[in-house]
Amino acid sequence: MKQNTNNTTADRRGFLKNVAASVVAAGALVPVGLSAKDDPALMKEPEWGKKLGRPVDADPYGMPSPYEHNVERRVHELLSSGDMYASVAMCPIQDLDGIITPNGLFFSRCHGGVAIIDPNEYRLIIHGLVEKPLVLTLEQLKRYPSESRIHFIECPANGSTEWRAPQFDTLQFMKGMMSQAEWTGVKLSTLLKDVGVKPNAKWVLAEGSDDSHMGRTIPIEKIMDDAMVVWAQNGEALRPEQGYPVRLLVPGWEGNLNVKWLKRLKFGDKPWHAKEETSKYTMLTPTGKAVQFFWPMEVNSVITSPCPDKPWTDLKKGDIVEIQGLAWSGEGTIKGVDISFDGGKNWVEANLKGLVLPKAWTRFSYIYKWDGKPIVLSSRAYDDAGFVQPTITQEVSKMGVEGIYHRNAIVSWEVKANGEVHNVQVRDYEKEKKAIEKMQKGAKNA
Amino acid sequence: MLKLNKKISVFAAIAISFSVSAVAGEKDVKVKAPKVRAIDAATEYKVEKGVYAGVYKVNEQTSKIKKFGYGKKATPDEIKFNNIDVRYDWKGLPEGKGTVAEGEELYSKNCIMCHGDFGAGGKGYPVLAGGQGSLKNQLINPENGDEPPVKTIGSYWPYASTLFWYVKTGMPFPHPMSLTNDQTYAIVAYLLSLNDIQVGGEDLDDDTVLDKKKLMTVVMPNVNGFYPDVNAKNGADNMKKYLSKASNYGTQTVRCMKNCKPGKVIRIKHTLDEGIKPPLSEKRDLPKVKAGGAADNKYAKMFETNCKACHGNKAIAPVPGDKEAWAARIKQGKDTLYKHALKGFQGMPPKGGTNLPDADIKGIVDYMVSKSK
Repeated sequence: MKQNTNNTTADRRGFLKNVAASVVAAGALVPVGLSAKDDPALMKEPEWGKKLGRPVDADPYGMPSPYEHNVERRVHELLSSGDMYASVAMCPIQDLDGIITPNGLFFSRCHGGVAIIDPNEYRLIIHGLVEKPLVLTLEQLKRYPSESRIHFIECPANGSTEWRAPQFDTLQFMKGMMSQAEWTGVKLSTLLKDVGVKPNAKWVLAEGSDDSHMGRTIPIEKIMDDAMVVWAQNGEALRPEQGYPVRLLVPGWEGNLNVKWLKRLKFGDKPWHAKEETSKYTMLTPTGKAVQFFWPMEVNSVITSPCPDKPWTDLKKGDIVEIQGLAWSGEGTIKGVDISFDGGKNWVEANLKGLVLPKAWTRFSYIYKWDGKPIVLSSRAYDDAGFVQPTITQEVSKMGVEGIYHRNAIVSWEVKANGEVHNVQVRDYEKEKKAIEKMQKGAKNA
Repeated sequence: MLKLNKKISVFAAIAISFSVSAVAGEKDVKVKAPKVRAIDAATEYKVEKGVYAGVYKVNEQTSKIKKFGYGKKATPDEIKFNNIDVRYDWKGLPEGKGTVAEGEELYSKNCIMCHGDFGAGGKGYPVLAGGQGSLKNQLINPENGDEPPVKTIGSYWPYASTLFWYVKTGMPFPHPMSLTNDQTYAIVAYLLSLNDIQVGGEDLDDDTVLDKKKLMTVVMPNVNGFYPDVNAKNGADNMKKYLSKASNYGTQTVRCMKNCKPGKVIRIKHTLDEGIKPPLSEKRDLPKVKAGGAADNKYAKMFETNCKACHGNKAIAPVPGDKEAWAARIKQGKDTLYKHALKGFQGMPPKGGTNLPDADIKGIVDYMVSKSK
């Protein structure tokens, strides 16, 4: 093949046309006229370098590149209650870098659709066991000294399709019921100075103003510890899907408690037992009894690269590759993450990278030389509250397979010799079955 | 080239020595737990002088201010109007009354299209009745004939207060806050009767009147089906205790580092990936231009708000765009379709349960037909 060394612009265009034609015609990897070492993408002036781009006033509110259109939230009929109003759109966490979720990709769980609220008509009303029941407009609320915190929000049903067996071969549907943002608002302990909470107030009902009028009960200790009323995510107003103009933020606790479109806070001496803390968001165990008011999201982790969506099919034997993932805990700060290459038999310590914050996604990383042989990759996080992620069998042996919520068992990926990655589970069904049957027998008939 | 290769090999050697030393040096490790735990069983945030002393710095001036004085005092009327909750001990339950028969009629107009005949569900929406005695079921292996637990009002819910609150403020799903207290009592009476739940020690007949006093006597069958007890004095502490003990819920406190026995590798047998919308794709290409513009249509928006709860679920009603489902219906002619939409037909309530003017209902029908030809 002869290198064309003396071409004018016109000649080059003609040459590139010929290259394109020859690639199509012969299916050749190396275009005619190029050396095997030359990358054709670098051996031409690309189209975007030969014309003006879009003017800076074309997109008053910018959007991602159109080439990124497949990075989007996704839904599944089985994860909805009959329609797409009481449903969930999963975050494509396989496509995220760092620890912040772009606002348009933040997972969206609604119980009656996304309400669009007129901020001029927005009011927050606080009453019940307080000295001075209070009404605040949005403007007044934003006058309080603000704080910004980075916290994840995770739906407790995240991973709920995996109790019985592996079912999804994509990270988006295994762990996409969570996202993380920097939230800005006022801590309730600051705001409540204007209300004066009475000493006999032990619980707070937080209620949204959307179709579902969802209410949830939160203990006063958490309200005064780190709960916030927030109006911004990642520097801009909350998105409607996140409760615009105002939502409750209960760091580290069940996503459902972070009530969106927040309208009312009522202080009382007893818990309420609302629909989303009785009929749903309770964990039924094999004894026939259910755990109620399980608030924090437990320590958890998942490897995001590789994953079924981001395989190693481009790697060769002996290639160096970074394994990375996300670890999080609603009960503290991530202390460390272990990685296993043999499905959880032996473990090594991974490294944390980036910001390590309480009740927040934390990135972990491990530089690995792949020998091209099949492996089963698992990750296991632990936090400063003293908790370690369980194996599937350890968790199921306590909770059974019908609890739906709060699944935090270790996730494993099978990497095949060809670099494909699949969701697998490492578990001991016999041991689980015995434990479940023992719990069922030990309990009276419900 | 040579230089580059050398760089990589040094890098690789570091990576390999990493993993070897990590494996060799580790035994099973207990993770240190904090002495003082917060309500979430977590480590407590360090607070000094009333502000966080941890990773987040806070303006100390904030903690010194006793009052900001923003907003206005809520009036008794404002509180009364918005005070719509009904607590488990019946605090907040309003006066009213309704019969089982009235409830049944309201149910067939407002609820049956989603929750099915006699609360049987079956269309993706919650089942409302039955399931008693099933709560210990564990669907471990469907091939062994294992059955799942069925969680309904009668089999699962601990309190009837929640039922009133839910119906009054969250139902009917497409237009909540539209039922009167009397209508809510009637529907609650009907739902209790479907679940064979007694009121004041008596079965509910068609003409039994349910009122505030009677409803407050209802004890749900599964009232003792939940733990820990949070209703006790300082009940939140019971949850705190439960959460602090990881073994209660399977979470661990020890990291097994070598020769652990997690079990066998189980692969996916039946994947759910096919139902994902939009389909998964790792391609980075330009999107196909979507045909349409119909979304700007006034009636398309009305459809979204008023009709889609049922007409977005083909198990309940024909979905616009489903040509097969619509062919025979379109054949009947527009007049018949208008009539059914306005007067009701089978599961379809008159005007879909809305108060829209006739002209709008017809406009929505036209929109649905145009999408389905």
